[in-house]
Amino acid sequence: MLLNLKNVYKWYTTGGNRNFVLKDINLTVEEGEFISIMGPSGSGKSTLLHILGMLDTFDEGEYSFLQENVHKLKEKQRTNLYKQYIGFVFQQYHLIDELTVYENIETPLIYKDIKASERKAMVADILDRFQIVGKKDLFPNQLSGGQQQLVGIARALIVRPKLILADEPTGNLNSKQGEQIMQLFKQLNSEGVTIIQVTHSEKNAEYASRIIHLLDGSIQKQVL
Amino acid sequence: MFQNYFKIAFRNLWKNRTFTFVNVIGIAFSIAAFLFILEYIGFERNVNGFHTNLPNLYRLMYQGEEKKPFGWTRSPLPPTMQENFKEVKGYCRIAPSDNVLGVVSYTGENTAEPPRSFLEEKLIFADPDFFKLFSFKILEGNPSLTQPNLVAISQTQAKKYFDTKKALGEVLTLNNQFGKALYTVSAVFEDVRQDSDLQFDMVFSLQTFANPANLNGNDWARLDTWGSTFLQGYVLLEENTDIPALEQRTTAMIKKVFPEYEDEILLQPMQFMHLGRSLDDTSETFGNLGFVYLIGSIGLLILMIAWLNYINLSTASSLKRAKEVGIRKVVGANRWQLIGQFLGESLLLNVFGFFLALVLIQLLQVPFNQLVGKNLSINTFLGDGTWFFGGIPVAVGMVASGGYVAYILSTLSTSQTLKGTFSRSFKGVFLRKSLVIFQFTISLVLIVATLVLYRQLQFMQNKNLGMNIEQKLVITGPQVLEQSTYNAKNAAYLYEVSQLPFVKNYSSAGVVPGKWYNFSTAGITSLNPKLEDDKKQYNMAIIDHRYFDLYDIKLAAGNNFTAQICEDGWGKSKRVILNETAAKTLGFASATEAVGQKISWGEEYEVVGVVEDYHHQSLQQSIEPILFLPRLYSNNITLELPADQIQTSMRQLERLYKQVFPGNPFNYFFVDEVFNEQYKAEQQYGFIFFVASGLAILISCLGLFGLATFSVEQKTKEIGIRKVLGASVANIVTLISKDFLLLVIIAFAIATPIAWWAANKWLQDFAYRADLSWWIFGIAGVLAGLIALLTVSFQAIRAAVANPVESLRNE
Repeated sequence: MLLNLKNVYKWYTTGGNRNFVLKDINLTVEEGEFISIMGPSGSGKSTLLHILGMLDTFDEGEYSFLQENVHKLKEKQRTNLYKQYIGFVFQQYHLIDELTVYENIETPLIYKDIKASERKAMVADILDRFQIVGKKDLFPNQLSGGQQQLVGIARALIVRPKLILADEPTGNLNSKQGEQIMQLFKQLNSEGVTIIQVTHSEKNAEYASRIIHLLDGSIQKQVL
Repeated sequence: MFQNYFKIAFRNLWKNRTFTFVNVIGIAFSIAAFLFILEYIGFERNVNGFHTNLPNLYRLMYQGEEKKPFGWTRSPLPPTMQENFKEVKGYCRIAPSDNVLGVVSYTGENTAEPPRSFLEEKLIFADPDFFKLFSFKILEGNPSLTQPNLVAISQTQAKKYFDTKKALGEVLTLNNQFGKALYTVSAVFEDVRQDSDLQFDMVFSLQTFANPANLNGNDWARLDTWGSTFLQGYVLLEENTDIPALEQRTTAMIKKVFPEYEDEILLQPMQFMHLGRSLDDTSETFGNLGFVYLIGSIGLLILMIAWLNYINLSTASSLKRAKEVGIRKVVGANRWQLIGQFLGESLLLNVFGFFLALVLIQLLQVPFNQLVGKNLSINTFLGDGTWFFGGIPVAVGMVASGGYVAYILSTLSTSQTLKGTFSRSFKGVFLRKSLVIFQFTISLVLIVATLVLYRQLQFMQNKNLGMNIEQKLVITGPQVLEQSTYNAKNAAYLYEVSQLPFVKNYSSAGVVPGKWYNFSTAGITSLNPKLEDDKKQYNMAIIDHRYFDLYDIKLAAGNNFTAQICEDGWGKSKRVILNETAAKTLGFASATEAVGQKISWGEEYEVVGVVEDYHHQSLQQSIEPILFLPRLYSNNITLELPADQIQTSMRQLERLYKQVFPGNPFNYFFVDEVFNEQYKAEQQYGFIFFVASGLAILISCLGLFGLATFSVEQKTKEIGIRKVLGASVANIVTLISKDFLLLVIIAFAIATPIAWWAANKWLQDFAYRADLSWWIFGIAGVLAGLIALLTVSFQAIRAAVANPVESLRNE
């Protein structure tokens, strides 16, 4: 078992009333799974993803990740945990505008205090694999959306995470670029990386082995 | 990792050029100002620092009952101390220039040539060990002044008197109140450094005074007279001497021999003579500790304004940086790594600013040196601990401003920034507003201070002095003259001068307005004195019968001196004139009542007239009681000249002077210049405040400009919508500007009482002061407001005239 959510609630209090963003979420994810989360806007998909990625906190319930009780960890330990095991991919790509493709991919390695020579080898390796060696000195605004997302995924993968969390990775892409990304995810999944993605697209959701439907903060149904 | 930080820092600074420009310029100007101030402070701290014996050198002082220390010593005290106390290793007494200024002349082998004569003002007489105690560099000769009639002269003086000829062994003639005496040059020393409180061009052997025959009847200058205090005394003590104990033993020693003396002897470490803990500032080279603190604080305040700009601009632009922070956190940056990055960025800004400051210093060093009248450079403070004391606040400020920004940026919530729901934080807005208010408060206080200073200066220079000092030329009378021919020769010169067509009026007097009096004394009373009346001080001015007419000083009652009274002098005529203050101090009800009355000053003197009060000295001082004493010929030959003929008249006056007084140098000055020199300190203060307030407002406005830029960027959409709805350019400019203007108004409200209090306190030092009128504050407020408005509206107008379609499309 990779992770487990048990009776997780998250709410905002406005004017004395609790507005639930997530209600009684129970979810178990095994290593090697490929999961899609679907649901209308405001159903809590992104919040759930952020909680899984430990970027956001919840108000009630339990979360264990690789047998660690995440809700009991201090922020620093939590940061170390996700730094080691989780990679993120975003709809808006979220590359750093001031850094080149090469530097964007290298950044996580720098924060892990990996030596320069080793970094060089690792970045070269992944540039090669994603076939973007020729673009390594360009800045994000010189790339197409699909290319930017490739860089985003490359950056997420460079630290060799066990889990990739993708928040509508194809939301800003045309269908051809989107399909490319999905193929890439499928291939990564077959290599053993667990993937959880949030998506609006039925077609892209089908790439997953399990689909979770959210509505108003609750899991409505799970389709295998 | 650092490489990466610097890379991104560079790119960020380049991308946000307005931001970078504003910060770097602000930091550069403030650091340059601070370094200049540090140079000044470093110089002041190091004055006298070159003496090898400095830690063990002490100045002898004494104080009487009223506990006011004087920097003088009874003549026999230093040698007596050395005899009696074994910890006194050496001593040196110095008769400073004021007492012994005179004309020095040199007659070469060719006696047909006129002698080279100059009026020398920086002469001292000193004990044999002078050059042993103090570390002035000897270039040649024997520095010991053991024998009478020896003189050591500076390099420049040697050149002046002897050209290329060897100075050693040559003989100089000194004419002063001690008569005419010959001195053999025994040593040549390097010109005295400007960081010395002892300033002199020639050192004569004080041993000359040991022979009463050399004193020309000036018995007060005898070295064995305990009653005389015209010498400064310095002692060299053993290390670790118990100073308070030695002070007490010395005091006791004097008390034992002279029970009537109230002297309490003090030993002032020479290290503290220049700055701080200085008990009595006798020399004009002496520093002012309060002033050093003042300019140091002003420098720091200006630096603070620049750093606050950085904080304000960085936090205002945090929206822009939020995304980057979020991404970095997601890909694994921890807090400290982010703080390191942002700290690096601020460090880089400060380093840029610092280098630009060094360039500014290179450019401005010469004018700055002219302003302070000192030869300063960066090296002035690098040599000692001053750079350390200056460096600490600079380092703290850099780290604090950078650290605060780094802290704020690194605490942004990851999840919110990435979801894009991160919006303006209101606590940041409040802080920013407070900082802007703080900056403008400082600027406003400095502006008010500048205005008050200049107003007071103008007030003092324009106030009716009760006399006319315009176009009055003073020629210094002859020093080299047989006493018997003094009157005849002066009479001859004055007659010749009075015949010149351009001389409108003339007088021969012992005093010149703006300089001190001839002397001042107590013991003058009316014929029926009250208790304590004999302790009141009166100033004495020796004048002839033309003095009042020349300076347009009005008689309030009675008569002027006649030529006959002046010829008799006050000793024979027994007549005096008073000013109104003196008449009042003596107890006369009115000027008229005083006329014809007798007063007592040892003998009885008749008051022949009373003149209206005039400002003999600067307006810092209130008018003091003056007694005018009649004498026909004195040392200041004063003429009134028409302004347009100064050049030609000067040449004629000099030719005449040389004819009548051969061997005497022709020295002259203008009364109004001398009088205005009394305001030199105020002029310097005024200029410093002018520059400081200019810098403060400039840097504050740079920050405001940056903030306005961001504000306009944030409101682009709002402005677009408003324009579509029909808002005019004026509406938009008001919308942007009014918030900023409000901050300036709040700053004004805070600054006014502070500035009022400080200005009032400063003005207390002046006997005559310009009143603090409300319009000074009004001008300062309006000025700051206008400058701020101008700064902000530049951005506001740009936003207001932009096509709204453009701004809306951006969304």
